[in-house]
Amino acid sequence: MTAPLLEVQDLTKAFGRVVAARKLNFEIRAGELTSVIGPNGAGKSTLINILSGSVSADEGRIFLQGREITHLPTHRRVRLGLCRSFQVVNVFPELTVFENVQIPVLALVGRARHVLRSLSREPGVADRAMEVLERVNLAGQAHSPASELSHGDQRLLEVGIALAVRPKLLFLDEPTAGMNPVERSEILESIRRLSASGETTFVIVEHDMDVVFALSDRVIVLHLGDIICDGEPNVVKEDEQVRECYLGEEVEE
Amino acid sequence: MGRYLPHLIVGLLGLVFVAIGLFAGRFVLYLTMRVMLLSIFALGYNLLLGRTGLLSFGHGAFYAAGSYGMALFYLHVSSDPLLGIIAGLALAAFTALIIGFFCVRHTEIYFAMLTLAFGMMVFSLIWNLRDITGGDDGLVGIGRGPLLGFSIAKDSQYYFLVLFCFALTVWLIHRIRSSAFGLILAGIRENPQRTSFAGLSVKGYRLAAFVISAVFAGLAGSLGAMLESNTDPFSAHWTHSAEPVLVSLIGGLQTFSGPIAGSVIFVVLRETIERFTQNWMLWFGMILLVIIMGFRGGAMGAPERLLRRIVRKSREEGAS
Repeated sequence: MTAPLLEVQDLTKAFGRVVAARKLNFEIRAGELTSVIGPNGAGKSTLINILSGSVSADEGRIFLQGREITHLPTHRRVRLGLCRSFQVVNVFPELTVFENVQIPVLALVGRARHVLRSLSREPGVADRAMEVLERVNLAGQAHSPASELSHGDQRLLEVGIALAVRPKLLFLDEPTAGMNPVERSEILESIRRLSASGETTFVIVEHDMDVVFALSDRVIVLHLGDIICDGEPNVVKEDEQVRECYLGEEVEE
Repeated sequence: MGRYLPHLIVGLLGLVFVAIGLFAGRFVLYLTMRVMLLSIFALGYNLLLGRTGLLSFGHGAFYAAGSYGMALFYLHVSSDPLLGIIAGLALAAFTALIIGFFCVRHTEIYFAMLTLAFGMMVFSLIWNLRDITGGDDGLVGIGRGPLLGFSIAKDSQYYFLVLFCFALTVWLIHRIRSSAFGLILAGIRENPQRTSFAGLSVKGYRLAAFVISAVFAGLAGSLGAMLESNTDPFSAHWTHSAEPVLVSLIGGLQTFSGPIAGSVIFVVLRETIERFTQNWMLWFGMILLVIIMGFRGGAMGAPERLLRRIVRKSREEGAS
């Protein structure tokens, strides 16, 4: 049997007396669209920060395809196939849309260190960058500065930047935050399409549960640093504990 | 026609520089060399400030490393100017590698303060190691041996070595700015976090930019030592480190030619004002204030934008 895509063992992290992760153990399997949900303060952001290398864990180990990555810096994890997007727009604002995806493409093909060769002569880089832009439907705006895109398009661009490094595992941190309903359904459709194409396994971290239940194969519920439920969406929906600590607040609204 | 406008401008400027070398008097010759040295210093420096977004207040140390490396090599090993320059560059790169290793872990004000501290450490080393560096006198009596068989002893001859190094710097900086590496540096300026999530080591690239900019500072320093035939401990002082910062600001941080235009303005203004008043700093400061606040994007910001638009338009016309 092959190793799972991501394996987390006894992951613990506390900020002072606030426990953000308490001996978390779980696996993420390739091709399974997984969502991590939980009320505010459940430890979702911390978890994503630890897994992607921005924050180090107090205890525990992380394996990507059987290889330990617990102590690797961010850029090494990205090279091994683990990438993320951010809750707030996080692109290169003054660069063009095209240049935005050119940067990760250059990193992927190992040409980022070319100091004296003109960028326009790097073989295949332009094609690959356009290919990525087509996947996120931004090819038409390739030459405008990223800061001139609409909010929704900037979010899409960010997914594009993350996809350009061809990750095996991609965390999306609240991908629909701050979006209008049209943009929201567009980006969800994009995620579904990209996930179905099979190259990348998506993990969505969300506060908004409507997003999650429609889309996911599996849902993990975090609460105060603990996993309180883990399973298929309809199972999670019926779970007593989840309703109590999380769904309840939504229902009462 | 329009698309060749940049080539035309570069060609004309080249002719002007050559003409100065052939026909100008000693004072103009000397001043032009000072402009070119400051340009080399600032062009390299702006790769770090304008491109990578790192504000260093310690690059005087690398200029001094170039000067002293060159001078020590001349005094103790050989009078060959080419080898002397290489010795200067090597010392500058080595110093930058060590200092940069500690500095690139930090950004913004912390980075600026660390570079300032390291720069002043280099200054006090030079000041105190009297046996090696000559202390406050500096190293004196640096001559210029023949370069590949040609004499460069006279200023009118030496001018062309400086011009060659200046042209080489312009060409190299242009290539770096349009390379993959140059785009990555811009990415780091815009968003270091996103850059590391593109799978790139931000520290590594910052260090590379730091060392490259220091090598250009070292080139300016070693050429400066030969021009003045001595070295100056104050070239490592923070007041000297501030020069490329000012020059880049005057010319425009986000421009290619800004450091050159800034150097011309800086050197010429200072020379002119110094003739009229002792308090040149006061007048100089006020004029700088006007330039920096009056021209957003620096003196070359608007002209470069205009030039780019002309080139783009004529390309589009050519394509259609």
